[in-house]
Amino acid sequence: MRWFGFGFNAFGQICVQEEAESSSNAANEVKVISPTELSSHGDRSGCRGRICRIRASWSSRACLHLDEESCACLAGFATFISSEFRGCKDAFITESFLTLAFPDRVESWDLQKKEKTPSWTMEIKTQSESSDVNLPLVPGGYVALKPPIYHSLSPRLKAKSLALGAEHSILLTATGVVFTWGMGSHGQLGHGDLTSEEEPRAVEALWGMPMSSVASGGWHSVCISDGGDLYVWGWNERGQLGLPSRGLRKTAQQQQQNSSQQAGASCQEASTSSCEGLQEEQKHEEVFISIQAFPALLDVAPSCEIQTVSCGSRHTAAVTTVGDLYTWGWGDYGQLGHQTLASLDEPQRVEFFKTEQMRVVDVVCGTWNTFAAAVKEEVACT
Amino acid sequence: MTLSAMASLWSKISAILPPNEDQFPLQFSDKVESSVVEMLKWSRQQLYHDTVSTSHMLLAQIILDISWERLNTGTWRHVDKEWRRVYSYGCLFKVASLCRNSPTEDDILEAVRTCDMGLLMGAAIMDNILQRIVRILQNKIRKAAKEEAEDDHAKVKRIKPESRLFPVIKEELAVPRLKCPSLENFNRNYLLPLKPVILEGVIDHWPAFNKHFWSIEYLRSLAGCRTVPVEVGSRYTDEDWSQTLLTVNEFIDRYILNRDGVKTVGYLAQHQLFDQIPELKEDICFPDYCCLGDGDEDNITVNAWFGPGGTVSPLHHDPQQNFLAQVVGSKYIRLYSPEDTDKLYPHQSQLLHNTSQVEVENPDTERFPLFAEVPYLECVLHPGDVLFIPVRHWHYVRSLELSFSVSFWWS
Repeated sequence: MRWFGFGFNAFGQICVQEEAESSSNAANEVKVISPTELSSHGDRSGCRGRICRIRASWSSRACLHLDEESCACLAGFATFISSEFRGCKDAFITESFLTLAFPDRVESWDLQKKEKTPSWTMEIKTQSESSDVNLPLVPGGYVALKPPIYHSLSPRLKAKSLALGAEHSILLTATGVVFTWGMGSHGQLGHGDLTSEEEPRAVEALWGMPMSSVASGGWHSVCISDGGDLYVWGWNERGQLGLPSRGLRKTAQQQQQNSSQQAGASCQEASTSSCEGLQEEQKHEEVFISIQAFPALLDVAPSCEIQTVSCGSRHTAAVTTVGDLYTWGWGDYGQLGHQTLASLDEPQRVEFFKTEQMRVVDVVCGTWNTFAAAVKEEVACT
Repeated sequence: MTLSAMASLWSKISAILPPNEDQFPLQFSDKVESSVVEMLKWSRQQLYHDTVSTSHMLLAQIILDISWERLNTGTWRHVDKEWRRVYSYGCLFKVASLCRNSPTEDDILEAVRTCDMGLLMGAAIMDNILQRIVRILQNKIRKAAKEEAEDDHAKVKRIKPESRLFPVIKEELAVPRLKCPSLENFNRNYLLPLKPVILEGVIDHWPAFNKHFWSIEYLRSLAGCRTVPVEVGSRYTDEDWSQTLLTVNEFIDRYILNRDGVKTVGYLAQHQLFDQIPELKEDICFPDYCCLGDGDEDNITVNAWFGPGGTVSPLHHDPQQNFLAQVVGSKYIRLYSPEDTDKLYPHQSQLLHNTSQVEVENPDTERFPLFAEVPYLECVLHPGDVLFIPVRHWHYVRSLELSFSVSFWWS
């Protein structure tokens, strides 16, 4: 299995350029627009072995190596804490905290303060408690994005996994029920309104359909049903729901106008008429979705099943059961992997992996970037 | 514009920047993560060291994007001021990168827009440096515009007068009018008992009436390239009502002159335009009667209301005393006493509880049966009139033609 990254790289969290090591800090290629393989020597650490899991924030990435001796390696901004943590089983990284799970404890490092010890620690006493750790879930609760770091959760929820948005949370129970709470201003809770919820509340629209996975962007939420259907809700500002987005079309229109203006005054006639054409087109378009307050079924591709999904702040990436990676939403930093900086309000397959004859098996988004694990097609057949 | 003129633009801007990196402040509370502060420091470093200009823009955009995401996290009121400061720094770095290497006219216009975004969404940094920079940029643009204007001076168009259909005001319902009352008279008979009144002759001395008539051309020359918030849709209570950001020129072309044939109404409403464009503030004065309040001039909120005929502010009330001064055009206004609030059917929601559900000039008498019997006062406000709207008094406003009003909220 090989991991590839694309998108925001200002802190070298995807790849570090050789010459950048010596010269000034800001010399990394800021936008990696083509999927680029993560190399373990680029991590500047002694960590070796397969990368099993990735967690990424805006400025950093944590890689978990779980074979042989398990270990977590950091890349990007947070490396000032330490470049590796041996014995680590799970990691969760945000702009404020790095949380690490070890067999006997969970610890959080405050990335604001350059301290030599973790700012919060929780002991893990039993084997069963240890199996409860699926960060940000910890025994009895979860770690949040901002202090206070620990929040308790009712044991009755039987939480299986949890995803944290900018200001909302989405939880999956062991029986496949989805709960959300927090800020509802952008429809991100999926209860059909824009109000906030203090306590976890079941998403009623999904009742009767067991879910297998949840993920959260900054202001949007997604989940996969047992049958492989993808449900989306929340803010569609950059097309992150894969539904028609007015904001995105407007920007595209402006860019088109600007470029035709730059082409020279002689084209002015043409640019106005093309602009009118676009407006005409918009009138025929049925509805733009700015906020989707109820879960909506999204057809990623004809007759496909979704296996894994992950969200950046304003983009979404999903892997199908046949190993295709689809991405949509905000693309300004190359986080969609289509080798452009365009945003998309409908899912589009990342052709790189097809061209390389690779099957994508996992995807994890950072705030403005995306990491995908892939295997050679032949390997999959054996 | 010549190259040397552009070079002098950058020298003027760099003259107000700190002389070196060490004196360029970047202090933030721990609300702003150290990774973001690191990014700001890289931008600062680039500002003082010659490197490729494209990466300047790139880092500035990163700062704008990350702070924009924070400005959209939580309700606007709860956004930490530190993040609004970060946004302003992003604007500053972007403006610097735009103006640094022989900027084109489009670059300068983009720089003005960027300063305005910082002024509208950010918080003041470095002694309000964005306000100081935008003045430099505007002077540059105005000089260029003047040269052009002299060429097509003859072509200047006046707006054709619209057909004016003024409502007939019933005498017994008319808001009383007073010519320059004494402070004492106004205080005793109107302010203390909270009674509406129209003051005449109290703003005739404003430069807006004498020195610089507030014509479309004048507003264009003073503020044409400046970005302002515009309300789109007839009433803020409508489903399809929205707010957008446009330059004053775009607003005038689209919604005043109706060049694209757009049918929706656009209203530059409730915007503190005079803080954004201090030159325009010189054309107005605080009414003397404001001194009867508790606060000093800093506590008076001055808003601009500029739009075509047909803009409507639904029946609502505000938490402060209001002087509504009419500068251009005319407006029909209706006033209801706070005593009758329960017959005015305020919206239930927290957000709109100060707004009535009733369409004042076309009331749904079945849904709102008590409304018809509520007594009211009405008036048509003409240029030079100042309407005193007492605190919490319900008011409904409809512009009858192209109109520019200035409101003063005071306590």
